[in-house]
Order: sequence, then structure tokens, then C-alpha cells
Amino acid sequence: MNESTFFLIAFILYISAAFLYFAYLFSKNDRLAKSGYTFALSGLIIHSAALIMRTIESGHAPFTNMYESLSFLSWSAIFAYVLIEGKFKIKRAGPYFMLIVIGLMALASSPLMPKEATPLVPALQSYWLWLHVSVTLFGEAFFAIGFITSTMYLVADSKEKKGLNVKSSLTAEKLDSISYRCIAIGFPLFTLGGLVFGMVWAYKAWGRYWSWDPKETWSLITWFVFALYLHTRIVMGWKGRRSALIAILGFLAALFTYFGVNYLLVGLHSYA
Amino acid sequence: MKSFLDFFSSVKVGIFLLIFITIASILGTLIPQHRSPAEYMEKYGDISNVLIRLEFTKLYQSWWFISLLFLFAVNILVCTLTRLSPKLKKAFQPKLETKKQRLLSLKTNTSFKKNQDLKKTKAVVLSILSSKHYTLKEEQNGNTVFLQAQKRRLGLFGSDVVHLGLLIIIIGGIISGLGGFQANLNISEGETIPIPQADFKLRLDKFVTEYHPNGSVRDWKSTLTVLENSTDVLSKTIEVNHPLSYKGFMFYQGYYGWDWTNPTLEIWAKKSKDPSFLKKLEMGVGEKVQVGEESIEIAVLDFVPDFIIGEDNKISTRSLNPNNPAAYIEGWKEGKKVFSSWIFAKFPDFGRMHSNIDTDLSFEFKDLRAAQYSGIQMAKDPGVNFIWIGCTLLMLGLCVAFFWPPREIKVILEETQNKTDVTTAGITTKNREDFQSEFDDIVEAIRRSQ
Repeated sequence: MNESTFFLIAFILYISAAFLYFAYLFSKNDRLAKSGYTFALSGLIIHSAALIMRTIESGHAPFTNMYESLSFLSWSAIFAYVLIEGKFKIKRAGPYFMLIVIGLMALASSPLMPKEATPLVPALQSYWLWLHVSVTLFGEAFFAIGFITSTMYLVADSKEKKGLNVKSSLTAEKLDSISYRCIAIGFPLFTLGGLVFGMVWAYKAWGRYWSWDPKETWSLITWFVFALYLHTRIVMGWKGRRSALIAILGFLAALFTYFGVNYLLVGLHSYA
Repeated sequence: MKSFLDFFSSVKVGIFLLIFITIASILGTLIPQHRSPAEYMEKYGDISNVLIRLEFTKLYQSWWFISLLFLFAVNILVCTLTRLSPKLKKAFQPKLETKKQRLLSLKTNTSFKKNQDLKKTKAVVLSILSSKHYTLKEEQNGNTVFLQAQKRRLGLFGSDVVHLGLLIIIIGGIISGLGGFQANLNISEGETIPIPQADFKLRLDKFVTEYHPNGSVRDWKSTLTVLENSTDVLSKTIEVNHPLSYKGFMFYQGYYGWDWTNPTLEIWAKKSKDPSFLKKLEMGVGEKVQVGEESIEIAVLDFVPDFIIGEDNKISTRSLNPNNPAAYIEGWKEGKKVFSSWIFAKFPDFGRMHSNIDTDLSFEFKDLRAAQYSGIQMAKDPGVNFIWIGCTLLMLGLCVAFFWPPREIKVILEETQNKTDVTTAGITTKNREDFQSEFDDIVEAIRRSQ
């Protein structure tokens, strides 16, 4: 049993979780959602084992190339979801969220992503790699949940406006407040991991805490969008549609920071 | 002044500034920055002149981007200050709510009757609220008591601390931009070099490159010694991610390279009539060596790492990399020059000797080795401490703002015929569910107490 076997088992468990969640969505049978949760949780445990094995095998943090980083992002996404599903009562977001995770896992296992663990270039050999990447991706996982609930808000809101009878207990209003709570967790994490830890590490490695490198700039842009979300909401009282749209925009900015910059723009972060 | 304050205290203005800064930042990642005019010409054609004039090509350092940041900083400052005194008042001199209707219109509220007189009920309410760490304020008016309980009042100021942190970060950025400087130093082993803008020197004692088993570089390590007035003060081995800090200057292991301007050359001397003759010579530039028994001396007089003949027919080097290494050698016999030639490492057959006497010797430029130098990036950044202080405040403020929301409970007690009407309501900004359950607990405790 090696790392890739564990990865595959976790992947299969996540897919099963998605099926169960979708079945729950159509049948409204709570037990299906519960087993979906159990599958996601077992997937998470197996996935953790895969990440630990990867770390031992390569001798460094499991997020130094795109395969590792995608795998870790999926792991944080599931971890974040498992943590808050009960507290925020969002099991109806489960099926859609699982779809995102499956997309990430599929991308990670695609042949486009080189999988072999390579030794680290000197600049990445630092404990700041752990702090910087893990906290940032964890923050982004919460943005992803906020993205799902915001999108669900838009759908629920337009249904409610048309006067359709929505039988769900997850009303548009609740979705709006859940999105906010996800961002309220994601924003400090992203600030700490992405910006603050990033600056500290850049200073330690290169002597410049900020150099307007495209990845840096795009994380700042992401941060600006969520700052906009918070200020329009808290100070100007925007809620609902406009708020949801900004949250979606923020997640797209985070996504671009994560993927787009690597493939479309060139800069210091060219390793991963 | 008034209209200035009005303008900058507007959150809308702040939001527009934030949107402009965001759009500008995006543009800066789409237009490559700090390239040559020729590159822009090639990429954008005629509009490249406009881009350069409007400083889109060094956007983040442009006057207009910095002005936007400055306006944004002023907006943050004014917005924060104008909202501070009402907040302070709210936290430390709260107004007591005297109208029951107002309490009942709040989201979290309840009212009930208690079979106790006012004095007893008040004592119960006070003790329960203070056991939950609420700070209390009360006022009595005849048979009515107005109570105000608050906790986590600091939570009100989280956003102000965030803004203060941001302002300090911006100030730090300005100081870094104005007072910081960076330079690359190439030092070879044993070399001592003066540090620009400083009064000390730096010597490289040892430089090693460590490799992974697969041959890729694992790390570079430079042992550096700081010299003050030619005395050793401090020695430290630096590596990537572990710089040396001295007197506000930081020295980072950045890169490495070879000093190709002064390498050691390996030259093979051969004889065409005697295939078994082979003499391998190791020579530096300027060195003279005896070859064979024929008392011929050869000397390397010149070396270029990247040979080129310029338009003026002069020989020079195109770069500092060994793309086409060439050495100029001369042969001497009994004090007379007998031949001279350029020989090339990449083209062993090219060098034909211009010789006045017949010699059987030929020379091949086989190999060359250069001393490795350590690439040290030095930086002085007087703004960096502001950045760390700003970041700390930013994170503290965010944690307080998001995870320490203020809670407020208002109570009106009114006595009628030895019974007391209790009307109460709670206010919080975040995490309403947790607060609701605390509120319910408090209400339950008040109801039950005897």
C-alpha cells in the first residue's frame, strides 16, 4: 500500500460521499446525508494517511508541486467542511461541495500533473513553507464553502422571489448568513497565511517582504475583494444578492491566484 | 476642512478607492512590468508610448498608484477616527434604554412576570449577569429599574485595530520604498569586499554547494566574516532562508556563479611526429610554463570567456559566460618569440600557429575551471519593523473583530403589587446563535431563582 493507493481510496470515498449527498438531496432522507458525511470523514482519514506518507517519502511538506498542492487543497476543503457541516447546518451544500472536491482530486490525478516527489529547491526548504501554504489553503477552503452557499443563496433567492414554495429549512436568509460566517473564518486565515506569513517568508528568503510578484498581487486582490465584501456588508448594510455576488467574485479571485497565476502569468512563485 | 473631512470620512469614497486600487493591481499583473521600451513596442505597438508615459509599465511605483494608496490611507484614517468617539461612548458611557417597546422590537428579547419584589429581582438579575462576566450599569426611577449589561467591549474596536495595523503597514512600505536599498554582491572564497553604504567589510571564508542524490542543488552555504577596521567581529554560515543580520543590513544567500574572467586553463601540448608525446599544462592567465626538453616556454597572455571580434577588429568578450572561451598564447625559445596564437576550447582545430620557426608542437585548449563565487543579496530595509508591527495589529484586530463580538443585554424591571415585570433584550453583532443560548440561559436562571 503506497501513497497513491491511499489517495485513490480517499478519492473513491469522496465520490461515494457525493453520490450519497445527492441521493439525500432528492430523497430528503436524512440518513443518506449522514452516511455521506461518514464517507467524507473516512475519506479524510485515508487522505491524511496519504499526505503523511507523502511527507515521509519526500522528506518535505506535501505541497510543493501542483499534484501535492491540489491534493492538500482537497484535504483542507473536506476538513473545513467536516468541521462546520454540523455547526452551520449546511448538509444541503454537501453535494455541491463534494463536486468541487472531486474536481480538484480529478485534476490532481490527471496525467497533466507530475506526481513524482522531487527534492526541494533551496528557497522552499523552510518551515515557513508549512505555515504559509497550509494556512492559506485552509482559508481558501472556507472561501470555497462560502462560494457554494452564496451560489445556493442566489438560486434560493430567485426561487423565493418567484413565490415558489421552498420546503427547505435552509432559507435564502440563512444561506446569506452562513456565507458570511464562512468568510469570517476564511478571511483571517487567508490574511495570516497568504499575506502575513508570505511576507515574513519572502523577507527571510529574499530580503524583500513584498515585490509585486503576480501571485502576491493576486492574493492582495483577493484580499481586497473580501475586504470589499465585509465593508459593504457591515458598514453599508448590503446583504443578499450583491453580497453573494462579491463573495463569488472573491472566490474566483482566490481560484485565479491559485491556478491562473501559475499558468498565465510568470513570477517568483513559479515552482508551484 | 469640513468638506475635506466629509469626503474622506465617507465609506463610499473608501470603497471606490479600493475598487480603483484593485483594478489597477490587476492591470499591473497583465502588463509586464519594468521591461525595456523595445519590448513594449513589440508587444503593444503604438500605444506602448502611452503606456510608458502613464507609467503603466512601472505601475506599482507610479505617481498615480501611490497617490491612490495615499488617498486610501487618509480615508482609512479619517473613517476610523470619526467613528471612534461614538464607539467609545457606546462602550463606556452607554445610554440606558427606558422604553419597553424598544426592547421588544429587538431580535433577541423576552418578557415575563416574577413573583418577587423589585429589590429582590434586581439583586438576582445583577448577580446572574455579573456571574456571566457582564459589566453593569443601572439607574432607578421610582418603581422602575433600567439595567445595561455589557461584555467583550473590546470587540467593538477590532476593526479600528485592523485599520491602525494597515496604516502602519502603509507607513512601513513608504519607509522601505524611500530608505531601503538592495545590492547583489559576488564574493569569491578568501575575498574581502567593502559593503556599499556601510562602514564594515565582509569576507567569504568558505562556500559550499550541497547536492541531492539526484544531482540537483540542495543548498548553498557561505561562511561570512564581518570585519570592522580590519578586525574580525562576527562569523556566520548563511544559507538560503537563513540570512546574516548585522547593523540593520541583511545578507542572504541568493545564488552562486563562476568567475569566468580569471579561470585556470588546461592546455595539452602535443607533437605531430611523436604521437606518444602529451603534456598536460595547467595555467592561469599571465603564467609561463616550460614545455618539453626543447626549452620552449609558453605563456597565456590573454583570456576571454566569450570570444568575439568587434567591428573595430578588436577582440573582446560578448558576455561573462564561457560560451566561447579563448586564450592567447605565446611561445618563447631562448628569449625569442617563436609563435603566438588564439586557441579555442570549442574549436580545437581552429587555432593555427603563426610561427617563424619550425616547431613540432601544437596546443589544444582542453578545459577550463573557474573559482566559484557566492552570490549574496544584501538588503537594508528600515521599514520592515513597521511591517511586522502592522501585521501583528492587523491579525489581532481581525481576531477580535471576528471572534470576540461585543454582547449587550438590556433589562427593564418594573414593580407592580410586589411582583416585577421583567423585560429584557440582547444585542450582538456576530455569532447570534451562541449569544441566543447564553441569553436563554440567563433568562431561565432569572425565572427560576427564588
